[in-house]
Formats: sequence, C-alpha cells, structure tokens
Amino acid sequence: MSAPLLTAEEIVVRFGGVVALDGVDFTADARAITGLVGPNGAGKTTLFGILSGLLRPRAGRVSFDGTDITRASPQRRSRLGIARTFQRLELFGEMTVREHLVVAHRVRMRRDRSLLRDLVGLGSRPTLDEDETIAGILELVGLDAVAEQPVILLPLGTGRIVEIARALATAPRIVLLDEPTSGLDVHETEQVASALRAARDDRGVAFVVVEHDVELVLELCEAITVLDFGRVIARGTPSEIRASTDVQTAYLGTRAAEDVAP
Amino acid sequence: MGPYILSGLVLGSISAVSVLGLVLTYSSSRVFNFAHGAMAYFIAVLYWWLTDDQGWSVWPAAIVSVLVVAPLLGLFLWAIVFRRLTHATPVVRFVSTVGLWVAIPALARIIFPIISAGSDVQTRGLGGTPPGQFDVLGVTVNWNQATVIIGAAAVAVGFTILMRFTPLGLMTRAAVDSPRVAAIAGINPSAITAISWMLGTMLAGLAGVLLSPLLGISEIQFTLLLVVSLAAAVLGRMTSIPLAFGGAMAIGMIQGLSEKWESANLGFVEFSLDGFKPSVPFVLMLIALLAYQGLRREQFEVDLRAGPTEEEVAPAARLTGWKAAIGPIAVALVLLSVPIWLNDFWIGVVSQGVALGVLFLTFTVVTGEGGMVSLAQVSLAGIGAFTAAKLATDAEWPVWLALLAGGAVAVPIGLLLAGLTLRLGGLYLALGTLAFSQLLRFTVFGRDDFDNFGSGVAIDRPEFLGIDFSISGGRDNFYYLLVIVFMVAALVVVNLRRSTTGLVLTAMRSSEQAAATTGISILRSKLIAFGTSAFIAGLGGGLFAVSFGRATNVSFEVLVGIVWLAIVVTWGVRSVLGALMAGILYVVVSPPTDKLSFIFVIIVVFAMMGETARLIGSKAIYTARGALLGVGVLAVGITAIVLLLPVEIELSEKAKEVPTLLFGLGAVFLARQPRGVLFDVMNRIRLRQLQRERQLADGATAEAAT
Amino acid sequence: MNSAAEPVLVVGGLEVRYGDARAVFGVDLEAPAGHVVAVLGPNGAGKSSLAAAITGRVPPAAGKVVLAGHDVTGKSASSISRMGVAYVPEERAIFPHLTVQDNLRVLLRFAVPRDDRAAAVERALEMFPILAERRRQQAGTLSGGEQQMLALARVLAAPPTLLVADEMSLGLAPRLVDLVFESLEKARDEGVTILLIEQYVERALAFANEAVILRRGRVVWRGPAVDAHAELVAGYLGSEG
Repeated sequence: MSAPLLTAEEIVVRFGGVVALDGVDFTADARAITGLVGPNGAGKTTLFGILSGLLRPRAGRVSFDGTDITRASPQRRSRLGIARTFQRLELFGEMTVREHLVVAHRVRMRRDRSLLRDLVGLGSRPTLDEDETIAGILELVGLDAVAEQPVILLPLGTGRIVEIARALATAPRIVLLDEPTSGLDVHETEQVASALRAARDDRGVAFVVVEHDVELVLELCEAITVLDFGRVIARGTPSEIRASTDVQTAYLGTRAAEDVAP
Repeated sequence: MGPYILSGLVLGSISAVSVLGLVLTYSSSRVFNFAHGAMAYFIAVLYWWLTDDQGWSVWPAAIVSVLVVAPLLGLFLWAIVFRRLTHATPVVRFVSTVGLWVAIPALARIIFPIISAGSDVQTRGLGGTPPGQFDVLGVTVNWNQATVIIGAAAVAVGFTILMRFTPLGLMTRAAVDSPRVAAIAGINPSAITAISWMLGTMLAGLAGVLLSPLLGISEIQFTLLLVVSLAAAVLGRMTSIPLAFGGAMAIGMIQGLSEKWESANLGFVEFSLDGFKPSVPFVLMLIALLAYQGLRREQFEVDLRAGPTEEEVAPAARLTGWKAAIGPIAVALVLLSVPIWLNDFWIGVVSQGVALGVLFLTFTVVTGEGGMVSLAQVSLAGIGAFTAAKLATDAEWPVWLALLAGGAVAVPIGLLLAGLTLRLGGLYLALGTLAFSQLLRFTVFGRDDFDNFGSGVAIDRPEFLGIDFSISGGRDNFYYLLVIVFMVAALVVVNLRRSTTGLVLTAMRSSEQAAATTGISILRSKLIAFGTSAFIAGLGGGLFAVSFGRATNVSFEVLVGIVWLAIVVTWGVRSVLGALMAGILYVVVSPPTDKLSFIFVIIVVFAMMGETARLIGSKAIYTARGALLGVGVLAVGITAIVLLLPVEIELSEKAKEVPTLLFGLGAVFLARQPRGVLFDVMNRIRLRQLQRERQLADGATAEAAT
Repeated sequence: MNSAAEPVLVVGGLEVRYGDARAVFGVDLEAPAGHVVAVLGPNGAGKSSLAAAITGRVPPAAGKVVLAGHDVTGKSASSISRMGVAYVPEERAIFPHLTVQDNLRVLLRFAVPRDDRAAAVERALEMFPILAERRRQQAGTLSGGEQQMLALARVLAAPPTLLVADEMSLGLAPRLVDLVFESLEKARDEGVTILLIEQYVERALAFANEAVILRRGRVVWRGPAVDAHAELVAGYLGSEG
C-alpha cells in the first residue's frame, strides 16, 4: 500500500483558552475522496484551516507527499498542488466561467510573470495547450454549455462547480472542499457529487470533503474521519462509520444524557 | 520656548477635537471619512457668513453653526451617503467620501457666496475682536487661543462623561463593540450610527470654528487639518479615542516647537527647515504604520470584519470582435477631426485635456484595474512633470527623453510608498498616499528651485523629425501628437486589461482570498498595478506640463488630485474613454471659462459619441432604431458646438462651482459603477431587459413543468 | 380568540434565502404558551436560519412570523427584541469590551420597565455569584461558560415572552451543560415559552414538550418529543444504503 498523499499528525490548536483540536491525526489518500465530518463545533473547520494553510497549529505537522508544509502559505500550497474551495462562494464576479479557468491555468503555468509582453499585447493570446486543457476540464465537470457566461448570472449550484473547475485548472493533486453542498437542493448536490467523481476517475485528483450532510459523505467517500470535541472519534469506510456507536452518540448526544442518569 | 508650547497646544487642541469626530464615526460605521475636513470647512464658512455677512455676534453664530446646523448636516449625509457605505467594498467607501470632500466645499461656496475657491479669510474669534490678552507664566495668551484650549478640554471632559456615564454612551459603546449583539438586545444600531455621525460632524464643525480665527478659512488649511487628524487616528489605531486624542496633541506640540528651530538660524545647515512642520504628520504616521506592521493583520484591519460586502453593479454582456472596435474608431475619428471645427484657442484647451487624459489613465490602472485608492497619483504626476522640466530646461535633454525619464523616476517612488503601506490593507494605502502628497507639496514642490515664486519650471514642446510642434506654428501638429500618445497609452492599458496580468488583477479585485489560493501573489500583483500607474502618472504629468508650457506647484496640489479622482470616477474609472472625457472636461471647466454652453455641449457630444459607438456595437440594442438614434445625436451634438461657439456667456461665481459640485456628487453616487455615468444609465436599462427576459424564461419553464 | 390559548409564536410558510442559497423552505411551526418546542436536525438543516428569521436578523423571503397575535414579519431584530423575544445564540451574545455590569445594563435595558432596570441588573448578578465577583471585568476575558452564564442571567432576571435558545450548550463542559438546562427549566417554570435548538438531542427531548425535525430546510417530522428518537437516528446518519 502506498503512503497517503496528505497527512496531518498530532495537530493541536487553541483559541484563547479553548482547545479546538487536541492531537488530531488525519490522512487522505491519492485518487480518493476522503470525508471529514462531525457535529457543529467539533473542529472540522479548524482542521480544514490547518490543511489549507489559513491557520497554523500550536503543535503537530502537516505533510504533503513527503514535504513538510505545516508553515507553507496558501500560494505555496497551491503551487505544490493543493487547491481549495470556500464555504461562501468566492468567485471572480466580473469574469466568465472560462476566464476563471484561464487565470488559474496561467498562474499555474507562470504566465503571469511577463509584464512587458502583457503591456504590448502579446501576452493575452491563448496557447493551444491552454485551450485543450480548459476545454477538457469544462467538459469533464459539465460546464461547457455555460463557458462564456459571466458567473454572476449562474445559479449557486453551478457556481460551486465553477469553483471546483477553477481548482482543477491549477492542475492540483488534491482539492480541499469546504461544505461544497451547503445551500444546494438535492438535484444540485447530485451534480456536485458527480463532478467530483468524474474528476477523481478521469484525472486521478484526490478530494477532501468537509460536510455537514453525513448522508452525502457516506455515499460519496471511500474513507471518512469523524471529529467530536476536537478529537478523532472514528475513522473508516462508510459501512464502518454507520456501525459505530461512538458516532451515533456524538450526533445524538446520548453521552450527555448518561451523565445525568442516576 | 513658551510661545512655541502655546502654539503647539493650540494646534494640538484643534486637531484633537477634529480627530475625536473622525474616530467616533469610523468606530461606529467602519467608514473612514475623507470628507471630515470638508465638513469642518462647511461649518466654518457658515459661521463666517453669519458673523460677517449677517452681522450676528460670535456666540449665537457659533452655537447655531456647531450645535444646530452641524448635526443636521451629519444626519443628512448619513441618510443619503454614509448609511449605505458600511457594507460597500473598500474602494467604494473611499471614493464616495473623497467625492464628498470635493462636493461639500463647492456646495458651501454656492450657498454662501462670500468666499471663492482658493481664498483665505480670517473670521472673528470667540475671544472678541481684537481678542483680549493675558499673561500666563510669562507667555502672552490671547482669548482666541484660550478658547481653543478650553474648548478642547471641555470636549474631552464632556465626551468622557457622555461615553462613560450616560445611557446613550453605554449603548453607543455596546453598538460599537458588537452591532449584532446590540440588535439582539433591542438597540437600533442604525440610530446609534446616525447619532455618531451627528456628533462627529459637530466635532468637525467645532474644530472648523475654532481654527478659522487663528489660521483663516482656506481649503488648504482644512486639508492640513484633515491630514493631521488622520495621522492622529492612525496613531490611535483608528479606534482608540484616548490614543488618537493624545496623538493629535503630540503632533501639535511637535509642530509648534518646530517653529522655534525654523526661526532660529542654524548656520551650518543649508537645507531650510520650512518643510519640517508639514512633514510631522506624515513621518509620525509612517513610523506608526511601520511599527504596526509587526501586528497581526487581522487585528489591525478591523474594516474587513465589518461584514459581507456587496457586489458592484453587474456589467452586462461584453462586446467582441469587430463590434468592439467601432467605439474606439469613432472616438479616434472625432478626436482627429477636432482641428477642423475648432479655433486655435480651443485647440490649445483640448490639447491640454488630451494630455490630462493620458495622466488620468493612471487612475484607470491603479483604481479601475488594481482596485486601490491612491491619493498620491497627483504627486507622482508632479514628480514626472518637475523631473521632465528640470531635465529638459536645465540639463538640456531632448524633451521626449525627459518626459520618459519623468515617468521612470515616478516608478520607484510609487513602489516604495505602496510597498510600505499595502501590507496593512487598502485604507492605509489611501491614508499614506494622502500624507505623502501633502509632504511632497511642502517639502519638495514648494521649494524655491521648483516653485520659483509660483511660476514653476518652464518646459518646451518637443521637436523631432523636423515637425513643427511650437505654439506659434505647430498647434495642430502638437495636438495630433498628443492624440497619438493618448491612443498608444490607451492601447497599452487595454492590452494590460486583456492580458494575464489583467485577469489576475480582476481576480484579485473580486476575491483576494480565492485569488491567493489560486496561486496569485496579492502583493506582487498590486505592486505591478501601482508601478505601471506611477509611470503613466509621471509621463502624463510631464505631457500636461508641456501642453501648459511649465510645471507649476499649483497644478499638482492634493486638492487638485482629489477633484481629478472624482471626475475620473464620474466618467468611468475603468474606461479609457472615461479618462479622456474626464481630462478634456477638467481643463474646460477648471478654471471655469465663460462659456457654460460650450461645456455642456462638449459633455453631451463626448458622452454621446462613446455611448453611440457602444450602442451601435452592442448585441442587446443592435437595432435600426438604435443606430439611427446614435447617428442623430452625434449630428445634433456637432452642429450645436459649431453654432454655440461664438456665443459669450458671463458665468457668475456660483455657477463656476457647479461643475466641481457635480463631479464630487458624481464620485459619491457612481463609486459603485466603475464604467461611469453613461454606462451606468445604459446598463440599468439593459439589466432591466435581461431581468424581464429571465422572468419570461422562468415563467415558461414553470409552465412546461406543470 | 381566547388569549390564554393563543400560541406565543406562529410561523407559517417561512422561507429564508441568502442570495441564491436556500436555507429554509416553507416551514410551519407553532409554540403554545409555556411550552418548550425542540427544533432538531443535522448541521445545515436550516435550524439557525429559522431562528434568525424569527428573531428578525434575516428578513424572510416569504411566509409569516406572528408573535402573540402581532405580525412581526420583516421587522428589525431590535424591534422584535423589544417585543419580549430573547435570543441566545451559540456564539456568545455578549459585548466583549464592556464590563460584566455594563453588559447586563445593555442586555436588560429594553427587557424591563425603566424603574426596574437597576434592580434587574442586581438580580442577574445575584443569580451567578461568579459574575458578581467579576462585575467590573471585561466580559471578553471571561471563560466560555461564564460568558454563557451572563446570557442566561439576562434571561432569568427578566423572563421574556419567548426565548430562542440556539445551541446554547455548544462547546461547554458537561457540568456547564447541566447548568444551562437547569436555567432553562427555571425559565420555563416562570412561564417562558422556549424554542430550543440543541445538539444534545437526548437532553433536549427529555426537556421539550414537542419536537420538530428539519432536513435540508424542510420539516420532515413533527410530534410529541418522546416519539422523536427513532426518527432521528435515520435523519442524522442516513438510512443503510
């Protein structure tokens, strides 16, 4: 068995006096969709921040394909091949769908580094390779029909897929998704899920999905980590998670009920 | 020593009163009010009008101005402007208050026509005319000075009591601490914000009334008041009232004491200390900013936590292919035909306007594309102009080379300024650039070898290829040269926008967070935009000086710069055509000429020209009726110019203020629309159409579903 | 209509949207006077959005909110608060830079008549001696549990008509969770109607009269609290697929 792609070990995070994460281990394998779930306040968002580089842990280590990235900035992580999406839709409001992919692809290809060419107008033409790559991604996630539309006119569900497509255009090895289906209806949720599956199967991209919709995670992911009170309480395949009494307790709060029982 | 301490105490007291208002309004609404000095100016002019023109005695006039009119003005401005800014994007917030800074003084001069722009009048003080005097510790104090110090002390005590010991103060502190929880507790946060704007305007007004008997009413003086206040606000980290109050006193004391050494003759220093006093706020602010760099960004930049920001007005579909070229070609044709239908005088005026259009592209790049508000573009233009003039006239460089050198010199200075302030966020760029402009105006441009007693440094027109560009014979040639330079510069800007760099800037403007995780370096992108804009500013400043014949200090004043920004925003801060129209309009209306009709006709023609081109090219309104309308308007416009040109109309002083007022208001209300006033109107129509189509489509799908 | 039988809160066809994102669709809800109604459901089911719409912090896109017979749909949070609705959210509803005493003065200001204000602050401080000890300390320096006591003290010192408790026990130690529930029981005994949004489902159900279960913004089950448990296991963890 190969080593995991993204690993977090013994992560500790404190906010003021509150311990948000208390020695959490997390791994995500290459070419797999890994779920991260837990009740409100369990520390999912904090762990996501650690993985994406928005937060620095008090203790512990994050590594990506053998490289220590605990203190790497979001830009550096992006260049290494870690992309992410946001809980609140963060699209570039003035651009079309295609332009989202173009800018991500060109930054990846370092084509944003030639100011002089840009000023005289030689830097704006798309290359053959760029056109092909972008057309491929658009088709893969099912955005080809709306490629030339300004994103501001798209419904929320499509907007989420644009975010995923933009992440894919940076040629990532792993994409971190922060609640990709919040605010979506059942149909849109299914669209997002199939875009993720397509990207994994076709491109071999790995995903980490932080979600509140446990049902979706059970259906979509190969491996799942469950957090509660800043600790990992379960880890395993969907059927293992379903069977776990610890997980039921965390979600339904029977533990607290037992505390008061005589 | 005594007189200097007194002078410092008086200066410090006035700005302490002022900064209190600035920090209060910022804390409660997260809007940093660049119009604070302008509000003080308005109330001071009112006070002067009441005492001097209406013959009121000083105390009733002061009470009515400060306690009655000022809060009403604050409430009014809150209701129409500030209320809507709390959740606007930072650029919209800055530009709107800068627009008010332009509009309010013009409004004051229209309502109270006893003062004209640039004039400096001394009002009667509260201490009597002439003020009585008394001695304290061997220092002679007059009652005007004493009133200032007593007034500031009273404000400090009164404000502390209000905040600490009254229910209103308690609720204000609660609403400032957390507007969300305050609403849960039953406090109406809007009411608290409105009250804080009333109080803030009162404090600005009081500062104005206290200042005017000592230093006179002039816009320059009130800009200084603003700059000192904002330096003090930065020292207080924007939200700490005691720190800001203390900071203002400290700045005042240092400035007061500096006069001692200024008047003493330090024989061994050749450099005069003239520039020291105005540089105090800038230097202290810079030190504070550098010291705060060590702080965590999130702690310092409170304005970003104010809540979600709303989107700019959505642009409608863009043009592509040959249709996109129609607009620029139409503009080029009209521009090149100008010498046919205008006389020599107007060709000279329009030449200056086109040169200014080149300069204004600096705003297109830094604000329109880069999403930053810099108030130093005027100074960077000044640097370019003076560098070019010195090199061409004193060092006898070829003019064209000197102009390019002017642009090149502005770049490192701009980059240094941006690099120092950008890390802390957009607000500090705006503050730092404003203080820098003020500093440069007094320490460099004001020096004798540049200012030359107001006449500046002469610069000749370029000569090459044997073409005559001189004023005597080559007027038309020079005009064509400027038009070509503008077109090249505009092409470069458009290229930049469409290039990878442009895409990166657009991405960054929309969402810095998402841009950073896409791998974009935010600081690097902003520096690229700022550096490019600095070059354009330097080059444009040089061209403007050439078209004017000389580089002068007054052409590159801070106050000129904010009017420039306002007018560019009005005509479209993200549009090269907007920059051109703004440039031409600016030279036509300021200084105001006596041809009001011409002004308005030229506004209409240039406006229609651009929009007609857009109309003809756009898919949405690509109809015979649209094309006909466009051609018709163009014909009417040109006919009107030709017919109205010989008509002479005397403009009253009031009417001369109208354009400035309009540009200020334009900036206030169009800050959300980066493509300017005409596009905004067109866009609203187009969006309504789109909405209607969408509704129809939705209805159709709903029907199909059932 | 008999005013004693009139429900304190009636919500009809409520819909909440954030831009294009839908959080609550057509929810109906009724809270009879003196009852405790538990609102349950997985994270993101729309519980907090429902609470936000009822307390006026988010204007509903459609539907009605009626408080004790008055239509308050679309009213501001501050005016709904002044009508006797107390809202205690998961993020502590306190002013971090004000002292404990000033916090209570602000929180109670519109909850009690003018001449009872000072007395109400004292009552609140007496209920939790640790707060009385720290009355001059900035509330932001209190521990999470103490901050929640501050919010509870406000509720108990001036019992509101309707209390909307949104995940009050989130992130608290079990001892403090007990304290929260004891305080809620006291409030109920004072006649306060409670809309209880809780993650400790078992405790919430033991305490509530009725329960409503939300999923993806819709009511999927409602009934007596005692019957809710079986329904919930499926709702949270998904049916075996």
